[in-house]
Amino acid sequence: MEQIRVENLCFSYEEGTRTINDVSFMIEKGMYVTIIGHNGSGKSTMAKLLAGLLEAESGKIMICGTELNEENLSEIRKTIGIVFQNPDNQFIGSTVRDDIAFGLENHQIPQAEMDGIIEKYAEKVGMTKYLNSEPTHLSGGQKQRVAIAGVLAMRPQILIFDEATSMLDPQGKAEIKRVIRELHEERDLTIISITHDIEEVAESDYVLAMNAGTIALRGTPHEVFANEETIKAIRLELPYSTQVGKLLAKYGVNVKNHLTMKGLVGELCQLHSKM
Amino acid sequence: MPIAFKDVSHVYSAGTPYEYRALDHVDLEIQEGKMTAVVGQTGSGKSTLVQHLNALLLPTEGTVYILDRTIDANKKPKQLKSLRGDVGLVFQFPEYQLFEETVLKDTAFGPKNFGCTVEEAEKRAKQALQLTGIGPEYYERSPLELSGGQKRRVAIAGILAMDPRVLVLDEPTAGLDPAGTASMMKLFRRLNQELHKTVLIVTHDMEQVYRYCDEVIVVHDGKIRHQESSAEFFKDAHLCNEMGVLPPSLIRLEEMMREFGFAVPQGIVTEEQLAQWIAQEVKNHG
Amino acid sequence: MGSIALGRYIPLDSVVHKMDPRAKIMAMLIVLIAVFFPSGWIGYAVLFAAASLMILLSKLSVGFIWRAMRPMLIMLVFLLVINALVVHTGPVLFSIGSFSVYLDAVLQTLYIAVRLLLMIMITTCLTATTKPLDMTLGIEDLLKPFEKIHVPAHEIAMLISIALRFIPDLIDETQRIMKAQESRGVDLQEGKLKEKIQAILSLIVPLFVSAFQRAEDLANAMEARGYMPGEPRTRYKVLKMAGRDYILLACALITAVGIGVLAWAV
Repeated sequence: MEQIRVENLCFSYEEGTRTINDVSFMIEKGMYVTIIGHNGSGKSTMAKLLAGLLEAESGKIMICGTELNEENLSEIRKTIGIVFQNPDNQFIGSTVRDDIAFGLENHQIPQAEMDGIIEKYAEKVGMTKYLNSEPTHLSGGQKQRVAIAGVLAMRPQILIFDEATSMLDPQGKAEIKRVIRELHEERDLTIISITHDIEEVAESDYVLAMNAGTIALRGTPHEVFANEETIKAIRLELPYSTQVGKLLAKYGVNVKNHLTMKGLVGELCQLHSKM
Repeated sequence: MPIAFKDVSHVYSAGTPYEYRALDHVDLEIQEGKMTAVVGQTGSGKSTLVQHLNALLLPTEGTVYILDRTIDANKKPKQLKSLRGDVGLVFQFPEYQLFEETVLKDTAFGPKNFGCTVEEAEKRAKQALQLTGIGPEYYERSPLELSGGQKRRVAIAGILAMDPRVLVLDEPTAGLDPAGTASMMKLFRRLNQELHKTVLIVTHDMEQVYRYCDEVIVVHDGKIRHQESSAEFFKDAHLCNEMGVLPPSLIRLEEMMREFGFAVPQGIVTEEQLAQWIAQEVKNHG
Repeated sequence: MGSIALGRYIPLDSVVHKMDPRAKIMAMLIVLIAVFFPSGWIGYAVLFAAASLMILLSKLSVGFIWRAMRPMLIMLVFLLVINALVVHTGPVLFSIGSFSVYLDAVLQTLYIAVRLLLMIMITTCLTATTKPLDMTLGIEDLLKPFEKIHVPAHEIAMLISIALRFIPDLIDETQRIMKAQESRGVDLQEGKLKEKIQAILSLIVPLFVSAFQRAEDLANAMEARGYMPGEPRTRYKVLKMAGRDYILLACALITAVGIGVLAWAV
């Protein structure tokens, strides 16, 4: 089922330079989509447009068949949650509990129901122990998990991660990637993740590779990373296993294009035992 | 021995309920002319450690020796300012320190503070900007208008313009995209190899440590857990695993191949070598 | 750290900490008004007793009140000097050469000192026992009736609570920028005036840039989570008055009325 349709979308911060230039794509319900591209390619702007935080110059954004416009903005926004890059600047409440409650208050959820919802989603991201903690006592990864809980508590259908792991240490990155993976396995949510993490991209269902405000490549991770020339031209990296595969080919060992190390080693095993 | 820590401790908020020992009797020697990585988990004390290098923090116990200067815990240090010129410290997200009207003025700010004339400071600023890949067309623009990556380069140029002998960088590639990260790391290697600067990089990214650094210092719980050459440190994955960080891709690949029964020998340190070895293996079996 | 006592929240487990912030704010205002009644020493003794009782119930230490009071001492000494110069009524206490200090000068200063002490004791009972966030909730509720005359009660409360939330972050940020600029040779302690101005600029400009960035991020985050200024919202934290809160209010009222009667009678 189609959930997001973007048609000929354009956006400029200043006149004359289009940050988003005639972009069209479609995303199905329950998909896990990653958007990649070098810094300044327009990915974060795309996320803000989808979340209704910026207004398009021209073109259409259809969410669940309804076109996003000024009148239905607050209604449609309820179906979309977004987790931003900076863990400190999106923590609004004075404790974890208050922060998750913030969105519920805005959606006018009756006070009596709030504690149940807060506890449910805090558990989902593994933050039950910290419900009464203040942000200064939390790590970056924990703050981001609270942000995810705060967004999930509003029951969105689409969840956008705008480089949500890029300011975290390795441990925090791993925590957030695990939460994203678990959410994807439930298949309830459409997930759009803007990321530089090639391993995360390899796990996703569909990839949009952006460059200079346009979509340079689209398709499954396999399809996208098969275009070595374009990937390099738009200053992106190939997955590590693909890079090693290319080197192997140079020395006469031909392997398929693998996105993960496991896949590559698996094929090498087969080659090895066959011979 | 340009940099040494002798039994150095640093305690924050001593005597209050918030008292916290960030460095705990650290002994350390850092050789000049090397590119050294300082790694460790968040809160391990590595940022506290590097802030001692230009005396932003003073030891609460012990002695720090830096480039012929001695900083004792109980004595008020002298020559602080000249030390800060010799040890350039680049903080995390340094783009947040830009404030002048133009890129050139901002880059010249450091050298001017250390007593350079305006002409001399601008000359040094131009050299530093050239090193970091910021062309003359940017000199008169406001640093606040630049893109994130460019701002970072200008901020780093601002420290380079002081012409420090030692360059210390706290997570210089945080938030950059892969292409930006690679060119930044190449710049540091060039500064190390061509301009013979001693470079210390605080980082979480083992891939970069493996590829670019000669030495690794592991800080854990305010103590130095390991200090060895990069080659020794990455001989296998166990030190990374012990620290709870992901080893570099090549090490992970080699480990995985061993798990699957390949007898990958020690000493393969590039992807090229590994590919060659695999090709040989496949041929031998064929 | 720990040097500023005035206005600081002290997390303790006392009956006063558990009281409703609205009751505490109202009681404080009522008793503060009573402090200004000219009720004489007897009245002040009563108020002092009442405030002391509250402090006792709050489990705050005398040392804490003293630390809150300390910054005011310089002001009082200054006041004493001024009074000694201008007040020339009452019997002469002592003379130095041709200059005499009169009793009323000392009495008047003492009067002000006692009032100041009372005010600090009373406000401390509120600020030291009420979390900043609960305080804003209390203020919001108390301002509710004034929304009819367009007092944006909710917006004021939101503003205060966000400011409180980000103060620690901004302090961290300031320290970080200071260190970064010190690394570029900025000397914040010494230097000529021109250098000092530049040093301050090198702090202020980045601080503003980052504060604006923060504000933009925060606005996006709030909007994305459905916050619309002026739109109705429910509230997670609901204040509830309990028996002890009514008792507090009643006591405050009785004290104030009593003092008022005393002042009128005198």
